[in-house]
Amino acid sequence: MAEIAQQRFVASLWCAEVLARLPDLVDGTLTEPDRALVLAHVAGCTWCERFGGSYGRVVGSLKGVADESAPADVAARLDALLDP
Amino acid sequence: MLGEDGLIERVAAGDRVAFGALVARWRDPIWRFVRAHTPTPALAEEALQETFVGVWRGASGLRDPAAFRGWMYGLARRQAARASRRRVGEPLDAEPIEQLGVAAGWGSEARGGAVLARIEDHDAVRHALAALSDDDREVVWLVDVDELSLAEAADALGLSLAATKSRLHRARLRLMAALAEGGTDG
Repeated sequence: MAEIAQQRFVASLWCAEVLARLPDLVDGTLTEPDRALVLAHVAGCTWCERFGGSYGRVVGSLKGVADESAPADVAARLDALLDP
Repeated sequence: MLGEDGLIERVAAGDRVAFGALVARWRDPIWRFVRAHTPTPALAEEALQETFVGVWRGASGLRDPAAFRGWMYGLARRQAARASRRRVGEPLDAEPIEQLGVAAGWGSEARGGAVLARIEDHDAVRHALAALSDDDREVVWLVDVDELSLAEAADALGLSLAATKSRLHRARLRLMAALAEGGTDG
C-alpha cells in the first residue's frame, strides 16, 4: 500500500485518517467531536490543510461546470410519443 | 407556482399539463446528465425521452414524492446505460484510498499545485470529468454537479449510503488526479 513518506500524527489523527474523513468534512456530515479533531489536525498540518482546501475547491468547482441546454423540441417529441 | 411534490402528485394522477411543467423543470439537468454518459447526442436524446416516458408511466407507483429525484436520476442512469449498451451496477473497486490520494496530490506540493492551477478552468474540469470511468463520473455528477443528496444518489445508483459515499470519495480523488495530469484523455 502506498503512503506519503512523512505522514504525521497531529491532534490525535494521522493524515490518512483525515484523508478518509474529507468527504464528511466537505459535505458537513461529521459529528461535532470528529469535526473538531479533523480541524485541529488541519490547523497543525500544512499538507492536510492544502489538500483539504484543494479537495473542497474541486468539489465546489463542479457546481457550475455543466451549462448545455436540452434540445428545444423535447416537449413536442414527448407529446408525440405519449399521445396514441 | 406548484411545489414539486404537488407536481409529482398531479403527474401521478395523469395530469399532462403538470407533466409538461415537470419536464420543463428537469429537462436541462437530465439532458446534461445523460449527455455526459452517452457517446453521441442522438443516444442522449433517446435516453432523455425514455427517461421522461418512464417518469410519466411510473409516477403513480412512487409512494413518496420526496424520493422523486433519486428515482428519476435512477431512470436516467439506466436509460443512458441502455443506450450506450453498458452494464450498470459494476462491482466496487478496492484501490486503497491513500494510493488515490497520492495521485490526487496528497503529500505532494507540486501535484497539489497542478490541481489548484486547473480548478478555475471550466474546460479543464470538464476534460477531467470526461476522462473518468462511467461509474466515477456518474456519482460525481449526481452529487457534485447536480447536487443530489447522498441518499438520493444512493437511490439512483442502487447502492447503499456507505457504498455511495465510498464511491464518491474515490471518484473525487480520481478527478483531482486527472486535473493534476492535465485533465486530458488517455
